[in-house]
Amino acid sequence: MSETPIIQPPKSLLRFFRWFCNPAYAEDIEGDLREMFDREVNARGVTTARVKFSMHVLRLFRPGIIRKVNIQSHNSPSPMFRNYVIASIRSLMRNKGFSALNIAGLAVGLATFSLISFYVYYELSFDKYHANADRIFRIVEDLKTENEMLYQAASSPPMGPHFQKDYPEVEKYVRFQNWSLLAQRGDISSYEKDSYITDSTVFDVFSWKLLKGDKRTALVEPNSIVLTETMAKKYFGDEDPLGQSIKMDYGNYKITGVMEDVPENSHFRFSNLISFSTWSKDNKRAEDGAWFWNGFDTYLLLRDAKSVETLRTKMPDFLKRNIEKGGMNYVDLPLQPLASIYMAPQRSWEGGTRGSMSNVYILSTIALFILLIACFNYINLTTARASRRLKEVGLRKTLGAVKQMLITQFLGESIIITFVSFVLAVILAWIALPAFRTLVESPLSLSILPQPWVIAGVAILLVLVVGLLAGAYPAFIISRFEPLQIFRPASMGMFGHNNLRKFLVGVQFIITITLVAGTMLVYDQLDVVRNQDLGFDKEGMLVVPTNGDTAIVNYLESVKNELKTVPGVVNITGSAQVPGQSANNNYTEIEMQDGKMSPTNINHNYVDYDFLTTYKIQLIAGRDFRRDVKADDTTAYLINEAAVKDFGWTPEQALGKRINKQGRIIGVYKDFNYQSLHTAVQPMLMPLTRYVSRLSIRIDSKDLPATIARVEQKWHSLIPYLPFDYSFLDVDFDRQYKADQQLGKVAGVFTGLAIFIGCLGLLGLTSFVVERRTKEIGIRKVLGASVGGVVVLITNEFVWLIVAALVVATPLTWYLIARWEENFTLQATINPLRFVIAGIAVLLFAWITIGFLSFRAANANPTKALRTE
Amino acid sequence: MKKYYLGEFEEIVLLATAILHKSAYGVAIKEEIESQLDREVSMGALHTALLRLEDKGYIRSATGEATEERAGRPRNYYEITALGKKAITHAKESREKMWNAIPKVVLELRGF
Repeated sequence: MSETPIIQPPKSLLRFFRWFCNPAYAEDIEGDLREMFDREVNARGVTTARVKFSMHVLRLFRPGIIRKVNIQSHNSPSPMFRNYVIASIRSLMRNKGFSALNIAGLAVGLATFSLISFYVYYELSFDKYHANADRIFRIVEDLKTENEMLYQAASSPPMGPHFQKDYPEVEKYVRFQNWSLLAQRGDISSYEKDSYITDSTVFDVFSWKLLKGDKRTALVEPNSIVLTETMAKKYFGDEDPLGQSIKMDYGNYKITGVMEDVPENSHFRFSNLISFSTWSKDNKRAEDGAWFWNGFDTYLLLRDAKSVETLRTKMPDFLKRNIEKGGMNYVDLPLQPLASIYMAPQRSWEGGTRGSMSNVYILSTIALFILLIACFNYINLTTARASRRLKEVGLRKTLGAVKQMLITQFLGESIIITFVSFVLAVILAWIALPAFRTLVESPLSLSILPQPWVIAGVAILLVLVVGLLAGAYPAFIISRFEPLQIFRPASMGMFGHNNLRKFLVGVQFIITITLVAGTMLVYDQLDVVRNQDLGFDKEGMLVVPTNGDTAIVNYLESVKNELKTVPGVVNITGSAQVPGQSANNNYTEIEMQDGKMSPTNINHNYVDYDFLTTYKIQLIAGRDFRRDVKADDTTAYLINEAAVKDFGWTPEQALGKRINKQGRIIGVYKDFNYQSLHTAVQPMLMPLTRYVSRLSIRIDSKDLPATIARVEQKWHSLIPYLPFDYSFLDVDFDRQYKADQQLGKVAGVFTGLAIFIGCLGLLGLTSFVVERRTKEIGIRKVLGASVGGVVVLITNEFVWLIVAALVVATPLTWYLIARWEENFTLQATINPLRFVIAGIAVLLFAWITIGFLSFRAANANPTKALRTE
Repeated sequence: MKKYYLGEFEEIVLLATAILHKSAYGVAIKEEIESQLDREVSMGALHTALLRLEDKGYIRSATGEATEERAGRPRNYYEITALGKKAITHAKESREKMWNAIPKVVLELRGF
């Protein structure tokens, strides 16, 4: 035999054979196969041998040769569990309607819960993506002036450097200042309102990634600028911006870097960063000594997160050593942990976006409520249906099942149902996500979510918790029945849970009524806020930024006159700020009643002639600025009522009081809400100025788009290089209530969902009640009951529950809404009618849900009911 | 009646095992059947049949020597048991009984 060892049967098939073959025969058969193969090779060649070998192996793949898969031993509990699963599925299939209600309710509840959880997670994730997040702190200021405390988010330029110099705990500092600049390149020009100057350490402290350029040198030289990807794309398209230059206002900036866009979950975002030296090279004295110039945001990077406590204790010493008293003095410089800034109570001069912790709480509560309603549905429907399972339970018990096993079975069943619902909920949530994003006005990008396995873990936990929560009581009840009791249907022991069911339905009604009434009251409050007489007219007002453009400043009167010629334009004025923006708080000396000059800090808004008339602000004493009084542009001040009251004057006494060296108060105007109604009107001075940074144009409300188009045309012919980047004052102003409006909208939508889930449960429960009382209804009808009487009989129970729920829900909601309204200086009175409406609405929904079933039951032929046995 | 149950292929395998006497193993049985009856036998069918026969107690197996051509796998030798002998005898006798019962005419006609 000239055997060459190289010739081997196909390896993969051999491996396949070893895998499937019963180990008891494998050796023998493999031996046979190899022997055959050898002979074939010698007789007919390798190819034929291989083909034959393959055929043999494939034909060996048959029962009898394949190894036994079933290796279950008889004492394992798995056959029992399999039986449980089968029993559960059968019972689910038998009551398709019920199962559908159960699963749908849970699915909607879980979907809502998941979406709101995502939102809450997003809201709480702000700024946490920085690697050093726990070591970064923002310096903020608590200031005391003559008559009030000021809480500011800003800080002054010397603070950061001095902290680093004085305390070894401080590793680095970064300062930011917001510059709103007009960017121009070629024919693209647009306002970059979110431009910031910042120290070169910015990329060491924060984790934003520089995609191009060197992070150590990018922001060192004056007039260097780092663009975000989006801004780079906007002005440079596909070109490489690195090394090129861009014009911002009047300066040219060299692009030294391109960075990733600032993530959405950041408390402030920007389109570009400019080197701090751009400012400081000409402002050395201010940088070193302007302790009261609160126009900066300073962030400290500590070496150790814990050292913030020791640093805080050194603060009084720091203040005493470095800062002299002025007209105001620093009481404290709190250090805010970076991650807490987004949710912290609002301070003045806060840039960027703000979260609302109370909204997070309210929404979380709503999410829990909805989940609770869905769980209650499950408990109610399952205990109601329990009688259907009693025979099964009785049989199992007779055959030796112990209580624990039955509890396991029914808990397992509820976990299976919860799992199915959860799968549905994920699909629902996925479908609803875009709509939800619009609703909460958050980008909610999936990228902020943690690792998939964390989500999977949380999801499993949620399924288990909800499954146990919903299933525990029914499992306990069902497994408690005694076999004898079960087989003797006369004993009504198992129907004694009516009270619990009533209680749960009652709680559902309480939650629903609270949500409905609460939502209406939130809208009431928002209406009050929106329709409040603000002291000025915010409708039909266009605001156009000019960024202090010198041409406009120099030719302000002519520009105004030109624009006024446009048909539809009623009035025009300029100012430093418009209502809805933070006001400048300036050091000022004011003459008091005793004739002495008293130092104080007071809000300023520098305005142009016609501010009062354009904004329709009422003058209550003295006069407005007049063009024919030459001295007005340097010495005249208008003051508001709040300030007059604060200083203890009457409006008439205020006239002629001296301000600083040569200023005089010439007029007192009625308070207008230049900030949101979350805060009371603060004292304010309005000096006259030409240096305006925005124009307010009051236009006729008729034919708005055409008027705007005409104004725009005029604007472009007058000042071709300045974009006509207008906004509506009322829209901007109402944006201050964005969080509140969102709350109203979101609460509205989820209240609807809560009602929907509640009605699902009610539907199931009623159909069960009707079914159980079929005979009773039949007999009643035979004895002469009317259809109406029967319907009332069935619905009565629920009506009383709703009335009871209304009684409980009213004070609860009242209290909660009163607490929420404390956020506003102006509160809507809580309208008791709202509770009545909520009660009626819930009653109506409940009635529609159960009425149909009741009618059907009441209309049925009694003989049919009585004949069924 | 169903004292012994033998399928057609099982009977052939049993016969081949008996023919080969002490040297009946997988490949040998296969070749014996193929040469005697001129039909293809797959390993799968053969081994299933052998296992079934062993289950029924008609044959017994014993592990034999390992050879080089089998890559070190030992041969499994099969031997017919007393019960197996009775089973083929029974099969043969019941057939003969029926053969004998066929009228001569029928066979002659068949031969035509």
